[in-house]
Amino acid sequence: MANKFLSDLLRQKQMDSPKEILSEVGDFISEYSSHLMGCGVHTSRVIRNAKRIGNSFGYAVTLSVFQKNIILTVADLEKHEHYNKVIDIPELPISFEHNSELSTLSWETYDRHLSLSALRRKYLRILRRPAIHPFFVLIMTGLANASFCRLFGGDWLSMGIVLTSTITGMFLKQQMSKEGINPYLVFIVSAFVASLCSSSSLIFDTTSEIALATSVLYLVPGVPLINGVIDIVEGYILTGCARLIHALLLILCIATGLSFTLLLVKDNLL
Amino acid sequence: MIAWNILSDALFAALAGIGFGAISDPPMRAFRFIAILAAAGHSFRYILMTFAGVEISLGSLAGALLIGFGGLWLGKIARTPMTVLCIPALLPMIPGKFAYNMVFSLIMFLQNMESSSQRALYMDMFFSNMVITGSVVFVLAAGVTVPMLIFPKRAFSLTRKKR
Repeated sequence: MANKFLSDLLRQKQMDSPKEILSEVGDFISEYSSHLMGCGVHTSRVIRNAKRIGNSFGYAVTLSVFQKNIILTVADLEKHEHYNKVIDIPELPISFEHNSELSTLSWETYDRHLSLSALRRKYLRILRRPAIHPFFVLIMTGLANASFCRLFGGDWLSMGIVLTSTITGMFLKQQMSKEGINPYLVFIVSAFVASLCSSSSLIFDTTSEIALATSVLYLVPGVPLINGVIDIVEGYILTGCARLIHALLLILCIATGLSFTLLLVKDNLL
Repeated sequence: MIAWNILSDALFAALAGIGFGAISDPPMRAFRFIAILAAAGHSFRYILMTFAGVEISLGSLAGALLIGFGGLWLGKIARTPMTVLCIPALLPMIPGKFAYNMVFSLIMFLQNMESSSQRALYMDMFFSNMVITGSVVFVLAAGVTVPMLIFPKRAFSLTRKKR
């Protein structure tokens, strides 16, 4: 009796276990792919990475990616078992570090056949790594915009003004983003403040027009812009257009913020 | 003097590339490659525009292609995807002055609706600046994707470790 019970249990266990693994791998892939989409990776890379991880466990992964959601199917072709999920894509700050480290992780899984627990451990370790310190980002952004001003032919005084106004605007952007304020509002306000600060160059005898022009350029959304084009040429036209429209809206917001300043100071510019 | 101009152009482009890269949180090892690519791309465009008389959109295309192929080559050494190196390196080539003139002329157009000569002047200024800005941004994005389309195998396995 007990023997039969045990063997039943064992059979049950054997039948259960593949399903369990399938769902665990599916859960991981859903988390992984939505994280990648959230932190600014272009669509074809997300899909390739997810398929690669599924492949190393012997499953076929199919994704359809939208701008806000991913529909995922992980299939065990031998046992005809499927795992389905619709995942929300979280809104994360853009992170090139996660992009490259998680891509490396997918190759490592594929080449070394990592177990799921090892994979998950490495994944969490990558996510827990600290981002670049915001203060460092602030200074670097200021320096970058100042050298940008130089590239357009601005003089040293304009560069100094651009440096300080960029730092002011960027600080505002960081703080407002931390509060979870609508990104479009954040862009309008930080473009307005940065250009307003740099309009102080009108008092001095300097290349003030260049200073005004460059002061808002730290906001240019390069990542969605270029990812959008990459997506479109690789055939993911839907997500590509979504990214481009997002980038275009952000650029319009920058233009709006700059316009407010120009309306205030236009008489001094002519 | 010429050499100094080119060198300072490259230097400031590199600084701009690093700074704009820092916003997007790249891995530390990527910074020097971003600097190299930004300097190479922007100074290449500078040389073409100043000494070869090439106009800005064609020059930007050449710069973007250089950055794209360079990103494909250096990406293997840095073990990062191409986009991580190329996007920050491209940003110093954004035509900010034309974009600014576009916004400025639009505002002046709206403010001077009564005078037809002023209106025509600012509309003309708006359109020519818009065409330049739009086409330069387009060729920048298109130019950097071309290498990815020519060498897809390499572009997709940049982060793979050598076994």
